[in-house]
Amino acid sequence: MIFITGPLYSGKKAYACQLLSCSREELSTRAVWDVQELAAKSADLNVLADELARREVVVATEVGGGVVPVDREQRAAREAAGRLSVLLAQRAQRVVRVFCGLPMELK
Amino acid sequence: MFTLVVGGAASGKSEYAEGLVLASPHRPRYYIATMEPFDEEGKARVEKHRRMRADKEFETVECYTGLVSVRLPERGTVLLECIGNLAANELYSPQGAGSWSGALSAIVDGVDALLAQCDNLVVVSNEVFTGGTDYADGTEDYLRLVAGVNRALAQRADRVCEVVCGLPRYYKGAAG
Repeated sequence: MIFITGPLYSGKKAYACQLLSCSREELSTRAVWDVQELAAKSADLNVLADELARREVVVATEVGGGVVPVDREQRAAREAAGRLSVLLAQRAQRVVRVFCGLPMELK
Repeated sequence: MFTLVVGGAASGKSEYAEGLVLASPHRPRYYIATMEPFDEEGKARVEKHRRMRADKEFETVECYTGLVSVRLPERGTVLLECIGNLAANELYSPQGAGSWSGALSAIVDGVDALLAQCDNLVVVSNEVFTGGTDYADGTEDYLRLVAGVNRALAQRADRVCEVVCGLPRYYKGAAG
C-alpha cells in the first residue's frame, strides 16, 4: 500500500492519479481518501489500518496542525485521525507527503 | 529565478525570503506590499516596516488588488508578500475580483506579469492547511483559493520551500 498524506487541498488525489496513471473517476476503484474521517468512528484503529492497508493507495488529510479543539468529540476525532495516519505509515511500503502539489517521500 | 516560500504564522518565512532577496545580485529591490492599513495602528506598522526596508534599499510598491496592473520601472528582484493577504483582498475587498475563480486568476496572472518584468522573484505564502477540514463556507473559499494559488505557483517556480522554525525545507530545487 502507498500512503499519501498532506495538508488540505494540497493536491493529494491529483498526485495519486499521476502515480497510478488513472483518471479521477477511476481513482475511486483503486484508492480510498479522507480516511481521517473514518478514524473517529472506528472501535479499533489497528483493525481499521489493517483493512485500509489492503488497498492500493490510501489518502489522508493532515488535521492535527491547529489549536486543540475545545469540543471533546472533535478533540478525540483529531487524535484518532493522527493516530490512524501513524498506523497507516507503519503498514505502507511507501509514504508520500504532498505539499503545494509537490511530493516528498517520507518512507 | 522564481522562489516560492511557504510557512506557518511566525515560522520565519519573511526573514528567510528577505534573505534570499538581499543575497541576489539583481537590483533594484522591489517590495510589493499587500496589507491595506485600516487604522492608525495599521498605518504605523506599515510605516515602520517601510522604513526598515528602505534601510535595506527596497523600494515599496503598494498593491492590494489587481496585481496584474503593477508596472515595475526596472527589472531586478521582487519580493511579494504575501499571498494570504492578496487572497483576502481579492475575495473580500470592494475593489477585489470577488469570485473564487476571478481571484485565482487575478493573483496567478499577476504573478506571471511580475515574472515577465523582473530577473528574480520571491513570493511568500501561507501554510494554513493542517488545522482541520471542517470550516464555514467563507473560510473554506479562502482556503481553497490560497491552496489553488500555492499549487499553481509551485508548478511555475524554480524552487519551492517550506520554512519551519526559520529553516527552509526544499520541495523543489535547492538552497543556495
